[in-house]
Amino acid sequence: MPVRLASFASALAAAAVALLLTVATAVAAVDDIKAIQAKGVLVVGVKADYRPWGFIDPSGAIVGMEIDMAREIADKLGVRLEMVPVTTANRIEFLRQGRIDLILATMSDTPARRQASTVIDPPYYAGGTNILARKSLNFQRWQELRGRRVCALQGAYYNRPVAENWGAIIVAFPGVPEAMIDLLAGNCDAFVQDSSLIASTLVSDPVKWADYEMPMETFGEQAWVMAVSAANREGSFARFLAHLSQDWHRSGHLIALEKKWGIPPSPFLKSMHDKL
Amino acid sequence: MIAGDGDAVGVLATIWKWAPLIGRGFLLNILISVLAMAMGTVAGLALGLGQIAPYAVLRRPAQIVTQFFRNAPWLVLLFYCILLLPYQMTVGDWTVPMPAWIKATIGLALPVMGNVSEIVRGGIQALPQAQWDSAESLAFSRRQTLWMVILPQAIKPMLPPWMNLYAVLIMATPLASIVGVEEAMTLTRFALSAENRSELLLPMYLALLVAFFAYCYPIARWTARLERRFAVKH
Repeated sequence: MPVRLASFASALAAAAVALLLTVATAVAAVDDIKAIQAKGVLVVGVKADYRPWGFIDPSGAIVGMEIDMAREIADKLGVRLEMVPVTTANRIEFLRQGRIDLILATMSDTPARRQASTVIDPPYYAGGTNILARKSLNFQRWQELRGRRVCALQGAYYNRPVAENWGAIIVAFPGVPEAMIDLLAGNCDAFVQDSSLIASTLVSDPVKWADYEMPMETFGEQAWVMAVSAANREGSFARFLAHLSQDWHRSGHLIALEKKWGIPPSPFLKSMHDKL
Repeated sequence: MIAGDGDAVGVLATIWKWAPLIGRGFLLNILISVLAMAMGTVAGLALGLGQIAPYAVLRRPAQIVTQFFRNAPWLVLLFYCILLLPYQMTVGDWTVPMPAWIKATIGLALPVMGNVSEIVRGGIQALPQAQWDSAESLAFSRRQTLWMVILPQAIKPMLPPWMNLYAVLIMATPLASIVGVEEAMTLTRFALSAENRSELLLPMYLALLVAFFAYCYPIARWTARLERRFAVKH
């Protein structure tokens, strides 16, 4: 008797879980423009810990270059903007669940992400990979990182090539400040990061970073892309965003935003502006 | 880098600047802990009573569930709730949003339930058998005995371990930052990223530690006092 009751209870639990999962997937496919306007709100997944693209001010509001872009998209659609802070690890999952309509969160373009979401072309930014290191170490070539402790961010796509191609020992941290303090304390020999983030760090406080440099040749330039749900590959929202991204490049708007947020000029934005 | 007086003042000013926001985050930690404690206590009481039920059909499942949730890592339970529960539920025409913090609250209520269940079972079983026997001789039913004789006496010795559990729970709430809840720990990390000054890392986490200590220490002292007071009774 107890056994039968227990199996009934577990069947009930399984049914409840199945029901929850159905509820979660049933609400996913709602991101073409009409559906967003019917909702009256555009929910955008953004970074809140990646200055100057997305970070918070002391009032708790999220600000930054990508936030300006998100606000413009919402204004153009005539809806309210709602921002959900995401991480590298959870942003695609949020998109898949329908919890966000759009990813605008320092996401670089990879084949796997193209499969899991609808990536918007053209990209709105691009950054390569480089390191921040003490000048006295006199690094010149990536090969010199062999056997060195290199700070990195958890989930960054370039951790693997740096470890596999050049034999660096990756020490991954959840956020930039934690990695920086390890670098400054001398526990790491270098901090591998997006080249545009390193460049903006170096110019943000020239005194503090006087003994540091970005010595390597930037490798693997990766485009940063917006993305919408994989289910809406042919949707009107994806088309609208692709046009908008093109306009932003053509009009020089992205270059203006880059300047506003104190990011050193990126060759990618200039070449896109010239091309379009 | 030379840490002079100017730097120390700068660090304090920065902490002060972010204090209102992180303080709001800390209120969320308290809210999560209070709700999780309430949910876990109600469910744990039912489960604990189930554990001492005279029928195996009730007792066995209650024991299994208790042992399962008491011996599971809190963070893993938290991940389960965050990943399994939908971000909104549709009941008829109603769409009820399920923000991450509510899912985290449920995730933390589960281990609380398992622990409360054991506290309840232990508290009841610590009472002398004579209490049951004398109630029975007065023709009390089992339910009457439980609610009118046993539980009123068992609550006092249950209180200190229950409060200890709460202190452990509030200190476990920063785990919710790993699953994206914007509580004090997450906001401290966001603030550190916004400042982008690594010398702030240790002072800002220290401020957070002080906040938790200031909240937990009075509870710990009060628990110790209750423990001393109830100890003489046995």
